[in-house]
Amino acid sequence: MLEIKNLKARIGDAEILNGLSLLVNPGEVHAIMGPNGSGKSTLALVLAGHEDYVVTEGSVLFMGRNLLELDPEERARMGIFLGFQYPVEIAGVNNAYLLKAALNARRRELGETEVDAFEFLKLAREKMALLDMDPALLNRGVNEGFSGGEKKRNEVLQMAVLEPRLAILDETDSGLDIDALKAVANGVNSLRDPEHAIVLVTHYQRLLDYVEPDFVHVLSDGRIIRSGDKSLALQLEEKGYDWAREAANA
Amino acid sequence: MSPSTIDTELLEQAVEKLPADALMPQRKQALTQFAATGFPTTRHEDWKYTNLAPAIELSNLWLREAARGLPELAVSPSVREYAGNLAAGIDAHWLVIANGLYRGNLQDGALEEARGISLPGLEIASIASDDVARSMAASDAMTHFNTALLRDALHVRIDADHEPDKPLGLLVIDDASAGATVSQARVVIEAGPMSRAQIIEYHASVGRHEHFANVVTELDIAQNAKIDYLRIQDRDRSHFQIGRLRATLGRDATLHHSALDLGGALIRNDVIAEIAAPGAGVELYGLYLADGTQHIDNHTRVDHKVGPANSREEYRGILSDEARCVFNGKAIVHSDADGTDAHQANHNLLLSDKAEIDTKPELEIYADDVKCSHGATVGQLDKAALFYLRSRGLDHAEAARVLTRAFAAAIVARTRIGNARSHIENLIDRRLEELVGGSL
Repeated sequence: MLEIKNLKARIGDAEILNGLSLLVNPGEVHAIMGPNGSGKSTLALVLAGHEDYVVTEGSVLFMGRNLLELDPEERARMGIFLGFQYPVEIAGVNNAYLLKAALNARRRELGETEVDAFEFLKLAREKMALLDMDPALLNRGVNEGFSGGEKKRNEVLQMAVLEPRLAILDETDSGLDIDALKAVANGVNSLRDPEHAIVLVTHYQRLLDYVEPDFVHVLSDGRIIRSGDKSLALQLEEKGYDWAREAANA
Repeated sequence: MSPSTIDTELLEQAVEKLPADALMPQRKQALTQFAATGFPTTRHEDWKYTNLAPAIELSNLWLREAARGLPELAVSPSVREYAGNLAAGIDAHWLVIANGLYRGNLQDGALEEARGISLPGLEIASIASDDVARSMAASDAMTHFNTALLRDALHVRIDADHEPDKPLGLLVIDDASAGATVSQARVVIEAGPMSRAQIIEYHASVGRHEHFANVVTELDIAQNAKIDYLRIQDRDRSHFQIGRLRATLGRDATLHHSALDLGGALIRNDVIAEIAAPGAGVELYGLYLADGTQHIDNHTRVDHKVGPANSREEYRGILSDEARCVFNGKAIVHSDADGTDAHQANHNLLLSDKAEIDTKPELEIYADDVKCSHGATVGQLDKAALFYLRSRGLDHAEAARVLTRAFAAAIVARTRIGNARSHIENLIDRRLEELVGGSL
């Protein structure tokens, strides 16, 4: 589904990704872990098409297409979803409006009929219940005045409604209390099936107790230095990222 | 004769050609006062950014004709059509002023050319010379120009305690299809004590020739009266307009004014509110959308002569291409106005790096016990928000439209005239489509 080869990217003069390769197949859950500044968020933003990042080398194929030549909106419609680490507040743009517009943009791409207001509301309420979210948040401005936890749940709500082929969640677990973490994990697990793939970008092992990854990768200096199964996350938790770096250098 | 001054000789001749009616003494007096100053120039602090040379040139051109006497023109089918469409869009008691002449009201969308129409609780008549005399005291050069050439105007009186069943609409429309024209419109509105009314002043123009409208509105709000006022300006993109609203508020009276500027080539609006008795409240909101080489200048002035009284002001602008806009909001708190609470804000969104805004919220405070604040911002579309929306599948243009609409919505939400809401939302959407489309 997603095939990243030797990806190099920079922002301004800073090289952030330095020859990253990764293969994600349908049905898989990958966790990408690494210390601050290792390039985790950059990878997520490059895949979503953020224009501040310039790809200098390498290739990214998604569903067989060259992802790097597509606009962010084209990627979204093809089924790539980025759950932002810091979701923006957009005053005056209704949360329900955005969610419905996003869903219909995706459905048009799939050749499906657009949902009407009634169908949309039913779907949104159902997914909100799954995430234990206050339905009133639907009628607020996008993330406007939301708490940190509400913003993260809102990201997962969008993901749950859009059912993307590939969901990339960038530190969606950070700053959440245990109830919010479980609710978010619920939402993520609801997407899990043989058709969909999930990439969890995370700093800590905590979320992985609730969403069990098939693969764990350690990112350091813009490259994957080690990959393994879920036990790697536990080892990292115990031994720290320096251990992984030293092991890679040895 | 420099090209950027009014030819007063022609003006004098044009005044002489007007009917020798009761307004004549005022015209002549205004002519003398106007001749002493002429149009304001950019050397004048309040006109620093707005050069009236195109309006002056057009006026001189038109005065050459007017000096020979102007033909009486019938209301054209395109004006009737415009009025009919407007009446279908906004349910109101519509009165029509076409090319400066009061032409009657709209009945079921059709123009009834009867004068002195009657609506319960309202008295609608041609302006009397004493109205003009009264408003001369606090006049500026443009009002003098208006008075000197005044042929007709409208006087609306709202009875004490009365609340009309729907808004009162004033369609100020100008027809420039037969040739270049200049028009002077004049409206005096008196809201009696305890009356409540919603008033829509709607500016439009049709026709491809040049046009310059000079509009003067006087609004007298008696004690405890509450007026919701909405001014919409949607003139042809090649036309000029100078408009001035002067409102006086009695004890515990309120004025809630919102303004929407969409069209015109050269537009200047002045709103002057005078708080003359304690307990009054003034709220001024405005939205201007400009692209191409449009120039839209909004000047407001709230005179807090006594306190306690409140004023609130927020104007927002969205500019694209090489548009240039001006905002100047002045609150003057006079020495007897203790207890004044005045706040002003102006926010601008620039969609192009060639667009320009000159903004200046101003406070002049001569009293001690006051609460005042002001602020202005100028910015571009939020890149992070744009990316966020695009990452959800909205294309670039749609994302930009959504964000500009949200920016504008803060002012639209202020409008109290529910009957006009969907109409103005449509106007804004249509205009934003053009502004955003041109900026991408």
